[in-house]
Amino acid sequence: MVNSKIAISTAAMIAIAAAWSGPASATGLSSNVVAEVAAETSAANVIQSMADQAMNELTDQSLADDVRRKKFVSLMDRYFAMDVVSRFVLGRYWRSISEAEIEEFSVLLQNYLALNYANQFKEFNGEQFVVGDETQKNKDTFVDSQFVRPDGPPVNIVWRMRMFDDSYKIIDVSIEGLSMGITQRDEFTSVIQQNNDDVGALTAALKAKTGL
Amino acid sequence: MKFRTLLSLCAAGSLSLLTACASTEPAQDTSDYDPLEPVNRVVHGVNGAVDFMVLYPAAMWYRDIAPEPVKTSVASFVRNINEPLNSFNALLQGDPDQAAASFQRFIMNSTLGFLGFNDVASDFGIPYRREDFGQTLAHYGIGGGPYIVLPLLGPSNLRDTAGIGVDYVANPLTWGAQNSDTAEALYLGSVGLTALHYRYATINQLNELQKSSIDYYAALRSLYRQQRNQMIRNGGPSPEFAVEDESASFDFDDAVEAASQ
Repeated sequence: MVNSKIAISTAAMIAIAAAWSGPASATGLSSNVVAEVAAETSAANVIQSMADQAMNELTDQSLADDVRRKKFVSLMDRYFAMDVVSRFVLGRYWRSISEAEIEEFSVLLQNYLALNYANQFKEFNGEQFVVGDETQKNKDTFVDSQFVRPDGPPVNIVWRMRMFDDSYKIIDVSIEGLSMGITQRDEFTSVIQQNNDDVGALTAALKAKTGL
Repeated sequence: MKFRTLLSLCAAGSLSLLTACASTEPAQDTSDYDPLEPVNRVVHGVNGAVDFMVLYPAAMWYRDIAPEPVKTSVASFVRNINEPLNSFNALLQGDPDQAAASFQRFIMNSTLGFLGFNDVASDFGIPYRREDFGQTLAHYGIGGGPYIVLPLLGPSNLRDTAGIGVDYVANPLTWGAQNSDTAEALYLGSVGLTALHYRYATINQLNELQKSSIDYYAALRSLYRQQRNQMIRNGGPSPEFAVEDESASFDFDDAVEAASQ
């Protein structure tokens, strides 16, 4: 396995992706309000307020697993452009299914991600989330951030965001240069190809995994 | 000895090929080109079984038994043993500064750092960077070619497999091992420690990936490609890809357009 030096997996990606902030959340209500107001003008502020919200809602250890998952799904609804992400991870195959099937897939995708990653918020202990600079590249804004762990080097996370109707939404997350969207797309399109280009096989696999 | 002569001829051969088809752009792979997929999946399965029986238990044991300072020292040793190759490849990539840095690290860590078990060079502000021959080939514009799952070694591609061969021949330790028992012991020890270290370093991520993915093989293949691209760019920003296959041609712009229809 010398060569399979996968720095950070998709698992870590979303765990960090939905993210959370150490010091910022401790500053209380006023900073949250400020962040909410500024959110429309700065992509970095959108990431900060998502982190604050995730910190407040998901790290409570007494929370039941299914409640945490639902909260995770609604965070994605609010901060991710899920219709874009859904089409992206289906690759060219979204064309071969109906609008209703894309809707269904989008719900399954959110629940699949929540199933895999929401519970990681239970285990947070001493880590901090620091939002850095924004860079504009073509149509997208990239927000740098770092996940600082008490043991081991910090993990670099880059949020790819785009403006929709005057507000920034996340369309991809990269951890140490590994794109969550591309990884998921490559995996999903492989599943579809293995099943004679039938998107239904992927949907069925996601249903089996999520229990929906 | 004949085998070695053959190997070095191959290395020389690939070098001349290299100069022949050199381009200025580093090659970035955009798609999971995998014509050998059925065979690869079988090897992937066998690797998984061997891993389950040998490497995984060893890595778990190492994780639970070894104190943190020991793990840090092993990580440092594993990197140090690679420095001559890092230096060699940085030089081939036309980066004498990085070649000097890697060489300096090797000298400092092998002496002051006690055979590399302490990374004193990092404390002096010379960070580690891995450069292998696969990256050197990519630097000269050679694409990854078909994805290959190697027995025991795992994910690779044609270019990086050739790179492993050249690095093996170019490694001073593998030559030394021919003539000296000490060098042989050091070489074999470093191979064992390298395997143990990397397996330990990836335990959590691979466990999570295996648990969460629908197609573990495909997820691993995608991550391998992305990580190699990242290493070839030395952490720089990703270029806008030239489109090669249908699936890769579907980018975020297409998705945005599709969603707004």
